Amino acid sequence: MAGGPGMVTPKGGSIFDRLSASLNVLGSLLILAVMLLINFDVFGRLLFNEPLSGVPEMVRLSIVAIVFLQITHTLRNRRFIRSDVLIGRMLARGTPAGYLLQAFHHFVGAILLAIIFYFTIDRFDRAWRIDEYVGTEGDFTAPVWPIYLIILIGCAGTCLQFLMHLVTDIRDARRAAGKSS
Amino acid sequence: MSDIQIGLLSILGILLLIQSGMHVSVALLLLSFCGVWAMKDNGIIAGKMLSLAAAESISSYAFGVIPLFVLMGLLVGASDIGRDTFDVCNRLFRRMRGGLGVSTVAANAVFAAVQGTTIASASVFTKVAVPELIRLGYTPRFAVGVVAGSSVLGMLIPPSLLLILYGIVAEVSIGQMFTAGIIPGILLAFAFVVLIGYLVRRHPKFVGEGALKLEKPNPETDASAMELAGLISPIVILIAIVLGGIYGGLFTPTEAGGVGALAALILAVVKRRLSWAAFKDVLIETGYVTASISFLLIAAHLYANMLALSGLPDFMGHWIETTNIGLVGVLIVYLIAIILLGTILDSASIMLILLPLVVPVMAKLGVDLVWFGIVTVIAVEIGLLTPPLGIACFVIRANLEDDRITLGDIFRGAAPFALTMLIVLALVVAIPWLATGLL
Repeated sequence: MAGGPGMVTPKGGSIFDRLSASLNVLGSLLILAVMLLINFDVFGRLLFNEPLSGVPEMVRLSIVAIVFLQITHTLRNRRFIRSDVLIGRMLARGTPAGYLLQAFHHFVGAILLAIIFYFTIDRFDRAWRIDEYVGTEGDFTAPVWPIYLIILIGCAGTCLQFLMHLVTDIRDARRAAGKSS
Repeated sequence: MSDIQIGLLSILGILLLIQSGMHVSVALLLLSFCGVWAMKDNGIIAGKMLSLAAAESISSYAFGVIPLFVLMGLLVGASDIGRDTFDVCNRLFRRMRGGLGVSTVAANAVFAAVQGTTIASASVFTKVAVPELIRLGYTPRFAVGVVAGSSVLGMLIPPSLLLILYGIVAEVSIGQMFTAGIIPGILLAFAFVVLIGYLVRRHPKFVGEGALKLEKPNPETDASAMELAGLISPIVILIAIVLGGIYGGLFTPTEAGGVGALAALILAVVKRRLSWAAFKDVLIETGYVTASISFLLIAAHLYANMLALSGLPDFMGHWIETTNIGLVGVLIVYLIAIILLGTILDSASIMLILLPLVVPVMAKLGVDLVWFGIVTVIAVEIGLLTPPLGIACFVIRANLEDDRITLGDIFRGAAPFALTMLIVLALVVAIPWLATGLL
């Protein structure tokens, strides 16, 4: 289904690759941070009767951040879930049609991520201007705009990654066409 | 065109695009976006719904369970806890005929209680159990079959990723889903043990002559009771923390995931089973699984909103009421749909495509949604064992070091286990108490 086994990021690569790999590392660290946060909360509550305030809000925001930090790199390693019964067979045959179909899939992906990006700008702008926050005043509050910023970064990165896959597909299709003619 | 027609066309389009190999999340987003646009005749509303789904649909405390249980499962998988459990079970059951097969089932059942994916179970036990089964004279076909069959326990015995996904999509408490999975999970494990007993007696050629040989205790090489206790204690501690914590009312499922992941990390480090490089791999893999599943959930959320807007679930509910095909008829159609989708899709995608359409109908018919979730998960899991897309079988093939065993062997070996699952599914349908009894 979703591409091969987990791959470790190769050293080097383009600036874009290194950027998406760093976002991926940040997302992984955030998962660890959420894990620790929950443990502090649970053990604070059970042992000292002092839960950490704001943990549900922080977990809530972190989940969105984790996903949009990881998503570019997940796509880069072709780990988006898809059914490869048909396309796998087409690609294995090495004709241009399979690559062109895949190029179409990547093209649609790029457009959709661009749409999400465009409509998230408004949300980010609003959250920034009115200082939108989660939590309760006086207990725990956290601003929301960093999450929208991360969504914007994730969407932009994933859109670019779709386009990069698209370029590869077209190159492969042209090579396949050259071979068969 | 009426809204209902637009809804139907969108589903058709989604299925076609997925069949063509488009990413499932992209196909869901595209057709839901177009569907909303067509119904509202307004692209801005559709775009706003899209960005709202991205920001809000996964922004909930309950979603913390996904990365945390995935992390815990991968840590447990990387730290040889599966092998230890298998060794201990083997000591317990080796005096039985077919004992090593039973050990594989038992070890899988125990392992399933600390992690939640079939893929993790299948990859660990392919490396641990298959070589041992073959060495002791079981047929390769039975060896891979029993590993494939018992790996589905990973998704049924809590914690389980599919039960979590169902809870999220159907808006049922994840804790309740975990409770409901216990009896069917144990029942399935027992059914597998009975199946092995039957196969050993009636089809010894399928199982292999090794199943008839009983291993004698050997005081010189056998591990002592103390050593066995040492091997089994880490997994017992983890089970106590996670399941004891949830059922004892100490933790929410999200908290249990956090505490369980930390405990698994500490155990792996203390037992010196986790290298720095392996830890990094585990973290990166956790990120991939979390991101791909969560993005799929975002897409499924938009798709569910689009369907609700189209009125299709309501329409279907009415239609079912007027045609009198009854609950059993609906269930049969639903199970056939799952099996058909199982030929092109993985379990999570099947659930996320069908549930937004079916859950409102079921709720309208007054069906217990917890029970319906267990039925769904077992049905979806049968697809893991059957061609052409039995994921469990593919994972086993990828982890095998023996090239002589083909994918066809694995499917044939797993077939009796898939059949047993069908029987257990029928039992859970006939006796809903099996799922709801502990609630």
